[in-house]
Amino acid sequence: MRFSVMLQQLGQGMLKSMSIFALTLLFSLPLGLFVSFGRMSRNKFLRGAMKVYISIMRGTPLMLQLLAVYFGPYYLFGANIGGGYRFTAIIIAFSINYAAYFAEIYRSGIESMSPGQYEAARLLGYSRSSTFLKIIFPQVIKRILPSVTNEVITLIKDTSLAFSLAYAEMFTIAKQIAAKETNFMPFLVAAVFYYVFNALVAFLMERLEKSMSYYT
Amino acid sequence: MKKQILVSCLCLAMTASLMGGMSVCAEETGLNTEGKLVVGFDAEYPPYGYMDDNGDYTGFDLELAEALCEIEGWELVKQPIDWDSKDAELNSGSIDCIWNGFTMDGREDAYTFSVPYVNNSEVVITAENSGISSLADLEGKIVGVQADSAALTLLEEGGDQADLGATFGTLQQFADNNTAFAELMAGSLDAVALDIGVALYQINRREGYVILDEYLNAEKYAIGFKKGNDTLAEIVNKDLGILYENGTFMELAEKYEIADMVCLAETLGLGEAATEAETEAE
Repeated sequence: MRFSVMLQQLGQGMLKSMSIFALTLLFSLPLGLFVSFGRMSRNKFLRGAMKVYISIMRGTPLMLQLLAVYFGPYYLFGANIGGGYRFTAIIIAFSINYAAYFAEIYRSGIESMSPGQYEAARLLGYSRSSTFLKIIFPQVIKRILPSVTNEVITLIKDTSLAFSLAYAEMFTIAKQIAAKETNFMPFLVAAVFYYVFNALVAFLMERLEKSMSYYT
Repeated sequence: MKKQILVSCLCLAMTASLMGGMSVCAEETGLNTEGKLVVGFDAEYPPYGYMDDNGDYTGFDLELAEALCEIEGWELVKQPIDWDSKDAELNSGSIDCIWNGFTMDGREDAYTFSVPYVNNSEVVITAENSGISSLADLEGKIVGVQADSAALTLLEEGGDQADLGATFGTLQQFADNNTAFAELMAGSLDAVALDIGVALYQINRREGYVILDEYLNAEKYAIGFKKGNDTLAEIVNKDLGILYENGTFMELAEKYEIADMVCLAETLGLGEAATEAETEAE
């Protein structure tokens, strides 16, 4: 296989890795916020349920969760899952897993806000929702950004776990080319691809952090 | 089994909405989706199924499947799978068959098979200078094998070569043969047990490795369908006959250098056509 073909194949795999990455962030960031609300809720059952959810998501390997989400419908209900479910399953598994981590990050940010801010907002006549949206949440984002960057970078590397469902993302492709070529060169190229993508994301997150560093 | 139980338990714990994209089995052809044959294969298994120079999936089995789909007017979907998960993939309906140098011996109860079409053997590769020249020399050595493969079944407890397997120092499992071979080269393995077709592909591309003269067994490849899916198996059997008669089968066997291993003629009772096709191919 010519080097250019290998690059092209891995590039296509990279696009698939990036789509897992982007869709996972799109779903898990909002979902995580709702989970963190549940986790901090005054309702005992909701709070308990979210605690259990986070505990399971963080306490079991993501690879096993991928298998569970994909094959679950068959093993549990004997359902015929057909051919189109693979990518959906990957996005569901990644999103619910990352939402658990993001929820705890949000919680750390929200709980770090001083009660004085809520009191002041109340005196100024802010409703509960606008207190959160206009005063608390912007500060939370600023405060949790470094932790979020951590998770986001981990996510890029975790997309390679989709190989366990044989989805043709970059790591799966690299493995296949390595088998065909009977050498490990594709892994080296894949490593460079991952590194460059990560460096880019880290750079963008740093810019974002800087743009938010008002008041300091 | 352990994996299945773990997976099931985890599922019970997760009550997320998991139902999506379900389809119902078609009656007349036994396909999961009418007009579409989804072939599950290990894309790291040359020469039967792998990625070619252009980045497309190809191989003896996949080209054969392509030819079969042409006869039936089906669309072929080449679905790479993780070899560990092949049962779950097949039973859950995400693929229609396992068609990828798939050993039928010892698996007869777990799948519905097509007629066998290739004579396979499980063999052992070692480095030329390893000092290992017979199966007996493997005593106390570290031997690598693909997880969930026929070679593993053979060497594990209950397999036909279990006594031999018991003499090994360690029987180390790998997700794919390429990794096992890399370990062999790096010296962390003394030998790798695998299918002869794949072994030939590996050693022909490298210097200094040999296949031991003693084979572990003789067995056959067939196409595996979900247990009880006789409808699809019968259609495929009929088409294999057609592909043999019109010479396509032997042509592909020559192309992938496994012509002296195929056995479709004997299983179909078509001895004479075989010689004709061979002379044609020459």
